[in-house]
Amino acid sequence: MDRRHFLGVSSAASLGVLAGCASSPPVNISKANVIVVGGGYGGATAAKYVRMFSNNTAQVTLIEPNAEFISCPLSNLVVGGHTTMANISTPYSNLSKRHGIKIVKDMVASIDPKQKTVRLASGGTMKYDKLILSPGIGLMMNTIKGLDKANQEGATVQAWKAGPETVLLRKQLESMKDGGVYAITIPMAPYRCPPGPYERACQVASYFKQFKPKSKVLILDANDDVTSKGGLFKKAWASMYAGMIEYRPKHNVVEVVSKTKTLKFDVQDDVKADVLNVLPLMRAGDIAVQTGIANSNARWVNVNYINFESTAAKDIHVLGDSIQIAPAMPKSGHMANSHAKVAAAAVVAELGGFEINQAPVLTNTCYSFVNAEEVVHVASVHQYDAKDKTFKTVPGSGGLSSEPTKLEGVYAWGWARNIWADSLG
Amino acid sequence: MNYFVVALKPMEILKMHLQSAHKLKLLGLSIGTVGLVSLSAPAISQTSTSNINQQALAATCANCHGTNGVGVPNAGMPQINHLTPDAMLTQLKAFKSGARSGTIMHQLAKGYTDEQLQTIANVLGKK
Repeated sequence: MDRRHFLGVSSAASLGVLAGCASSPPVNISKANVIVVGGGYGGATAAKYVRMFSNNTAQVTLIEPNAEFISCPLSNLVVGGHTTMANISTPYSNLSKRHGIKIVKDMVASIDPKQKTVRLASGGTMKYDKLILSPGIGLMMNTIKGLDKANQEGATVQAWKAGPETVLLRKQLESMKDGGVYAITIPMAPYRCPPGPYERACQVASYFKQFKPKSKVLILDANDDVTSKGGLFKKAWASMYAGMIEYRPKHNVVEVVSKTKTLKFDVQDDVKADVLNVLPLMRAGDIAVQTGIANSNARWVNVNYINFESTAAKDIHVLGDSIQIAPAMPKSGHMANSHAKVAAAAVVAELGGFEINQAPVLTNTCYSFVNAEEVVHVASVHQYDAKDKTFKTVPGSGGLSSEPTKLEGVYAWGWARNIWADSLG
Repeated sequence: MNYFVVALKPMEILKMHLQSAHKLKLLGLSIGTVGLVSLSAPAISQTSTSNINQQALAATCANCHGTNGVGVPNAGMPQINHLTPDAMLTQLKAFKSGARSGTIMHQLAKGYTDEQLQTIANVLGKK
């Protein structure tokens, strides 16, 4: 630990160089316990950047049940058969080795915002000065009748958290006979990764085109139209997968009949398929809901965007897919990584008694593979608006690709390797 | 596990790099093969409001270009860490004005104020 720095912070605090908006009295940063729950794009990045921004003084613990990080972005390439799980997995070990973060392989059973404690599933309680919660999404399985049962019987799969289900979906596609139907259903927005289902349809079609050319891909979308990169996806479907991919908007699944592999909709006719990829409505990760901070429609967590602190619980900062989004803010891994840096800077500032940044900036970049190699993107820059206390995209900035290219395919892999290193390296 | 295995054939990557490298070279940039390995991302030298804010702003580049602007070598993303602050600012402003085209940077650069681009170049540029 840097002792001079340590003293510097203390004396700054004692001289009254305090931020009016700091949410807690400053504590000595080196004695501060920062607990991060969830080691995805948001949590892992936050853990690392709290260490960096605090000059490696804050004590940071990351609680994460999985042995390694598996990326959702690019996991559709595994579904399409164009890469492996190993290629999208990253160990957590560098966070401890290079950054001095304590990693606890566990689940959080409960959080007590009043006592500022976290209880682990394996037992034991940990105290925090700042809690950074990045629990991802929860799937609202019970919003579709029969979905839980269909999942248990192997008739449906989600694969919306990269991992064993990604492999399972791939195996189901491999087992399907040529001439079969793969159907993916999309819930009403907002949901994790807006372009993800459409990219997945492309990936499945790219596999069928080569190995099962008589097969079909059905996209059954509860939304009125494609929610992201619509023009680019529709062009790709027409030019690359004509007669193979069919897009049907306004298809809201209400029931799954496991035995006959049938989907029932609120209005439209029933659909049968051989591989059923059913995505239900989504909400904040279970621990956020359980803690009582999912105070937007009982689904998402409202945060103060300037520091990502929950509006319901002091000193709990929430990142990534779990939050109620600002306008035009997608639920993406890149965005979660961006949230994490703003929150990490604010957490360190608040712990140290500094004024928090009044003008934070977020970016989003999202690449989608329309086949094994060609890629389209959407990008945006979000500046904090102090008057409206929210993030807004900058007029004239951001945008889409003009067409799929192999060059952006290279950049998509470059993005992935660099963001994995930025979050976990 | 190997992060460097991609679905693309090596020759195709090389070809694309050469194509884009040619375009970049006209603008005085090179990409790709030169990269530094950061075994330990350095902490910022001093914890202060302005330092944290500047680092946090520059960190908006790190998602694509690596922590502190140091990208994974041969990852496929253009490296920026060899650029001096002046050279970096010149390129960022060229992207912002539209003088330089790109796949994505001309869209992202337009989202930052000139002052923010200056800060980013100062923080990430080669000292």
